[in-house]
Amino acid sequence: MNSTTETVTPKYVPPTAAQTQAKVSAGLARRYRAEARFRAYGLGATLLGILFVVFLFGSVFWRGFSIFGQHQVRLDVFYDAEVIDPAGTRERDTLLAADYQALVRASLKARFPEVEGRREVRELVGLVSSGAAGQLQARVVANPALIGQREAVWVLTSSDVDWLLKGKVSRNAPESERRLSDDQLRWLDTLIRADQVERRFNKTFFENGDSRDPELAGVGGALAGSLLTLFVTLLLSFPVGVAAAVYLEEFARQSRTTDLIEVNINNLAAVPSIVFGLLGLSMFIGLFGMPRSAPLVGGFVLTLLTLPTIIIASRAALKAVPPSIREAALGMGASRLQMVAHHVLPLAMPGMLTGAIIGMARALGETAPLLMIGMVAFIVDIPNGFSDPSTVLPVQVFLWSDSPERAFVERTSGAIIVLLLFLIVMNATAVVLRNRFEKRW
Amino acid sequence: MSKLPRFPRFALSAATLAAIALSASPIAHAQSARDYISIVGSSTVYPFTTAVAEQFGRQGKFKTPKVESTGTGGGIKLFCNGVGPQHPDVANASRRMNAGEFDSCKKAGVTDIVEIKVGYDGVVLAESKKAKPLAVTRKQVYLALAKQIPDPSNPTVLINNPYKTWKDIDNSLPALKIEVLGPPPTSGTRDSFAELYMEAGCRTYPWLNTLRSQDEKRFKRICHTVREDGGYVEAGENDNLIVQKLQTNVGSLGIFGYSYLEENSGALRGTMVDGVEPTFETISSAKYPASRPLFIYVKKAHVGVIPGIKEFLGEYVSEKALGGEGYLANRGLIPPTKSEIGDVRKAAVALPSFTP
Amino acid sequence: MNPSMLLVLLFVLVLVAFRLGKDRSIAVVGGLRGVRDLHSLPGHYGLLTALWCGLPALAIFAIWVSFQDTVLVRLVLSHMAQSADQLSSSQLSLLMNDLRNVVAGNVAAETVAESTRKAAEEYRALRDIAHMALTVIVVAVALGGLLLARARIRADLRARNAFERVVEVALFCCSGIAVLTTVGIVLSIIFEAVRFFNLIPIGEFLFGLHWSPQMAIRADQVGSSGAFGAVPLFTGTLLISLIAMLIAAPVGLLSAIYLAEYADRRARSVIKPLLEVLAGVPTVVYGFFAALTVGPALRTFGESVGLDVASESALAAGLIMGVMIIPFVSSLADDMITAVPQSLRDGAYALGATRSETIKQVVLRAALPGIVGGLLLAVSRAIGETMIVVMAAGLAANLTANPFEAVTTVTVQIVTLLVGDQEFDSPKTLAAFALGLMLFLVTLLLNAIALYVVRRFREQYD
Repeated sequence: MNSTTETVTPKYVPPTAAQTQAKVSAGLARRYRAEARFRAYGLGATLLGILFVVFLFGSVFWRGFSIFGQHQVRLDVFYDAEVIDPAGTRERDTLLAADYQALVRASLKARFPEVEGRREVRELVGLVSSGAAGQLQARVVANPALIGQREAVWVLTSSDVDWLLKGKVSRNAPESERRLSDDQLRWLDTLIRADQVERRFNKTFFENGDSRDPELAGVGGALAGSLLTLFVTLLLSFPVGVAAAVYLEEFARQSRTTDLIEVNINNLAAVPSIVFGLLGLSMFIGLFGMPRSAPLVGGFVLTLLTLPTIIIASRAALKAVPPSIREAALGMGASRLQMVAHHVLPLAMPGMLTGAIIGMARALGETAPLLMIGMVAFIVDIPNGFSDPSTVLPVQVFLWSDSPERAFVERTSGAIIVLLLFLIVMNATAVVLRNRFEKRW
Repeated sequence: MSKLPRFPRFALSAATLAAIALSASPIAHAQSARDYISIVGSSTVYPFTTAVAEQFGRQGKFKTPKVESTGTGGGIKLFCNGVGPQHPDVANASRRMNAGEFDSCKKAGVTDIVEIKVGYDGVVLAESKKAKPLAVTRKQVYLALAKQIPDPSNPTVLINNPYKTWKDIDNSLPALKIEVLGPPPTSGTRDSFAELYMEAGCRTYPWLNTLRSQDEKRFKRICHTVREDGGYVEAGENDNLIVQKLQTNVGSLGIFGYSYLEENSGALRGTMVDGVEPTFETISSAKYPASRPLFIYVKKAHVGVIPGIKEFLGEYVSEKALGGEGYLANRGLIPPTKSEIGDVRKAAVALPSFTP
Repeated sequence: MNPSMLLVLLFVLVLVAFRLGKDRSIAVVGGLRGVRDLHSLPGHYGLLTALWCGLPALAIFAIWVSFQDTVLVRLVLSHMAQSADQLSSSQLSLLMNDLRNVVAGNVAAETVAESTRKAAEEYRALRDIAHMALTVIVVAVALGGLLLARARIRADLRARNAFERVVEVALFCCSGIAVLTTVGIVLSIIFEAVRFFNLIPIGEFLFGLHWSPQMAIRADQVGSSGAFGAVPLFTGTLLISLIAMLIAAPVGLLSAIYLAEYADRRARSVIKPLLEVLAGVPTVVYGFFAALTVGPALRTFGESVGLDVASESALAAGLIMGVMIIPFVSSLADDMITAVPQSLRDGAYALGATRSETIKQVVLRAALPGIVGGLLLAVSRAIGETMIVVMAAGLAANLTANPFEAVTTVTVQIVTLLVGDQEFDSPKTLAAFALGLMLFLVTLLLNAIALYVVRRFREQYD
C-alpha cells in the first residue's frame, strides 16, 4: 500500500526446535496445573451430584425405613355371643354391625382388672389401635364358629405406642408433653415384660387404603390407583406413540402438515405438566362430563403428557436403525409397511420399550396435573375399576404431608420409599434393556 | 422361522384393537352409576369427616365415602353446582353457609339443603415449645397483622402498619420479628380468624366500633385486610405444613384449628390469648375467645338416591362418634354442648331444610 | 350376548376373515402354484378381508355401546312416570342414577320405591333385547364385509396397496393426536383467558407491579385489595429459575464433561445412571424435602450468620429445583459433547493441546449451540415446575431480587387459584387461565428458540 516508505518488515525467522521446546516447557507446568484443576472441577461436580442423590435418598430412607415394622400386642379375646349376636341368628349383617370395640375393651380390662373409671379405661383402650375391632370383625365374619370361643389375637398398637417403641419420641419428657400418660407407659411395660408386644412386619401398610389412623393407613389403595392409571396410560400412549413415530420417521413426506406435527410434538414435550391438568379439567371433566378422581381421566391426562416423550424416544430408536437395512428390504421388493413391520420395528423395539418405560416412570411420579382433576381425595376402599374414585402414590404423599397426626410423617416417608422403589425398578429395567439390546451399528 | 417376523405385527394389531375398544369405554364409564357418597369441603372438618367415613365404611354395608379436601369456599361452590350424581352430596364447612352461597345454590337447583352442626373448633395461635411463651391480646394481634392501623398518636387516622417486631407494638412483648403463618382467604380458618381476632381487636377502637354499624363494608375492609409485606405469611391451605414449619421456625406464630394443636401437643404450645390458654376445656366452655362452629351440609335431593346418606349422618351424630368419649372428640373435635346435641341428632334424622 | 363377549367373537371373526381371504386369493389363481400371478401376497388379501370384516363392525359397536345406556334409560323413564316430562334435567339425572344403581345391584332392591324396581326390571329386559340386537347387527355387518371383500378378490386386485393405505391413514391419525392435544390446550385455556382480559386490561396484567388476587370470593367477604399485576410473579419465577440454573448449569455441565471426556467406561456406566436417578425422583418428593429439610435448615443457617432468611425463601426452592435439573442439563450436554466428531479432538491433540484445552477450545465451542439449546430447555423446565414451589415457596407476591425473601411463582398461583375453587366466573379463577396461557406461550417460545439453535448445530456436523 504505502510504497513511499520503504520500511523493512522484519523477516519471519522460524524458531529453532530448541526455542520452541523452551517456550512450550515454560508454559507446561502451568498448563498441566490448569488441566488438573479442570479435571478436579469435573470430578467435584460429579461427586456433588452423587452426594445429592445419597443425601436425598438417605434422608428419606432414614426417616421412613421404620415403616416396615409395626408393633403388635397379643390380646386374649373372648368372642362373647352376648355381645356379637345375642339373638343367635348368625346373619352376616348382624355379625358386621356388632360392637367389636366392646370385645377389645373387655379383653384389656380382663388383663388389667385394677383399671377402673371412664378416663382410665379410655386411656387403656388407647394403647390399642382402633383397627383392632375391625380385625376381630373380619375374623368373626369369616368364621362365625369362633363365637363363644376364646382366642389369642395379635392386634395393632396405636400409633402413639408404635412411635414410642420405635424410639421416635422420648419417654423421659414431662407427662404434659407426651402423647402417652404415665399410666399408659406402666401398662405398656407390663405387657412388654409378659412378651405380649412384638415388632412385626407391617403388612397393613401395603394392604390398606388411606385411613385417619396412621397405624392403619396404607399405600395399597394408592398403589392400585397408580397401577390402574398407568395401565390406561400405557395401553393408549405406547401404541399411539409408536404409530406416530413410525409415521413421521418412515412414511411422512416433507410437507407443511408433517412439519407442523413435528414442531408440535417437540413443543408439547416442553409444556409444563400443570397445563395438561388445565386441559384435563376443562376438557375431560368439564366438556365430556367424566367423573372426578377416576383413574380413567388420570390415565387420559397422563397419556397426553407422556405421548411426546414416547414419540421422541421411538423416533430416536427408529433413526438408530441404519438405512442399509431399509434399502436392503426395499431392494428385495418389500413395501414400506413390510420393511417397517418386518425389519425396522423389531430392531427398534428395545429402544422404543426403553422410551416407554421412562415415559411411564415419569407418569408414575406426576402430581401436579392430577391435583386439577380431583384426585386429592380421602379414599379408603381399594379401587378395582377404571371409574372408581382413587388416588395415586405421589398424590398420597402430598395428602399425608398435610395430615395433622405426627405419625403420618413416617407414613409419608414410607410412601415415598415405595414410590422410589418402583421408579428405581422401572429405570433399572430401562437401563438393562438399553445396555443389553441396543445395537451399535 | 418364517413365523418370527409376524409376531410384532400381530401384537401391534391386538394392541390397536384393545386401544380402540378402550377408547369407546370412557363414554360408557361416564354413565355408570355412583354408589358411594361424595364429600367435599373444609380442610378443618376433613379429619373428622374422614374418620366418620372410615368407620362407616368398615361396617361393610355401604362403600366408604370419598372425601375431597377443597377448602370451605371451594367445597360449597362444587356442592352448589347442581343436583345429580356428578355433584357432591355433602359439603364440609368451617363456617356457616351464607346468603350469597345459598342463592347460588338455589339458582343451580339445589333448593333443599340440610345443615348439621357437628361441633366446634378453636382457631388458635400457637408457637413452638422451644420458644419463650408469648401472651398476647387480640388487639395486639390486630395491630401486628392488619394492613392499615389507626395511628397511635392520632387514632382516627389510618396509617400503613409500621410494626416490625412485637416489641414495637407493646413494650411488654419480646423483641421478636412479627412472623405469623396462616391460611389464605379461600380458607374457612382465615374467615374465622378475621372475625374472631382481627375484628375483635379492631373494635377496641371506639370510632371503628361505631363505624361497624354505620358502614359495615368499610369496617370490614379496615379490619379484615391483612398486611402483605411479609408479617403475615400465607402458607396455603396446608395446615400441617404450618405446624411443621413452626417447629423449625422458633419464634413464629401459626394460625390453625385446635385439632392440629392437639395432635402436635408434643411440639407446639398454644399461645395465651387475652390471658387464656387454648385447651379442650377452655374452648368448649367458650372461655377461650376464639371458637367457631363446624357444619356439614347435605343435599336433600340426594338422600335416598345415593345409597347410604342417611346412615352416614346417623353414624356422624352417634354417641360413639360425637359423644363426649367418642372418636371424634379423641381427634380434637369439640362436640356440641349437651343442650345442643339433642337438636343435632333430631336434625340428622328429620333433615329440616335450612335457610341462612 | 354381553358386549365384551361380542368383542371376543368379533376378534375371532376377524381371524377367520383373514384365513378365508388368504385361501380365496390362492384359490382364485388356481392353487399355490399360481401365486406368482397375484398382485400381492396371499396374506395381504387376508388382511384386507379382515379389515373389511372388522372395521365397520367395530365402529357400529363403539357407537352403539356409547349410546345404548342413555337411550334405554330415557325409554324406561318415559314409561315409568307420567311426570317424567316435568322433571328438571338434574332430577332426571338423579332418577337415572338411582335406576342404574338398582340395575347394577349396588343397592338392595327392597330399599327403593316400587316404581323404580319395576323400571329396573324393564331396563334389564330392554338391555337384553338391545344386546341381542347389537349381536345380530354386528355379526351381520362383519359377515357382510367379509363376504363382500372376499367376493372382490381377483388376481389383479391391489390388496397390498389398499391395506397399506388404510394403515398409513391410521398412523397419520395417531401422529395427529399431538396436534389435537395442542389445540385442546389452547382452546381450554384461551376462552377463560380472554374473559379475564375483558375484566382486567392486558396491559395491567402484563406490566402491573402489584399482585394480590385474594379479592373477595364472596360478596360479603373482605380479602385484600385485588390487584392483578403479574410482574411480581414473573420476577419470582425468574428468580427461582435463575437460582436453579446457577446450581444446575455448572454442576450439570462439568459433570457431563467429566463423564464424557475423563471418566473411564466403567465409572461412566455406573455414575451416569446414578445421576439420572435424580431426574426420575418425583417432584413431590423434592417438594417434601425442600419444605421440611432445606428451607428450615437455610433459615437456621441464616440466623447463625445474622442474615434474615424467610422460611419460604426463594433460595430453598431454587436450590432443590437446581438439583432436580442437574441430570437434565448433564444428559443433554453429554449428548452434545459425544456428538462432536473425534477427528476434531484428534486434531487438537496433534497440535499439542492438553485435554482441558481441547475441551475448552474445541469440543465446547463445537458443542456450544447444542449446549445453549439444552440450557434453554432446562430453563423452560424450571419455569413450569409446580410441586416443588407449591410446597416450598410462599404465596406472598413480593417484587424483589433478594433470594432470602419469599417469592411466589406463576405455577403456585395457578394451583392456589384453581384447586378447590372451581366457579369459572370470578377474575380470581380466570386469572389462573391467563397465567396458564402465559406459561404455555413462554415455554413454547423458549422451546422454539432452543430447537432452532440445536438444528443449526446439527447441520454443521451431520
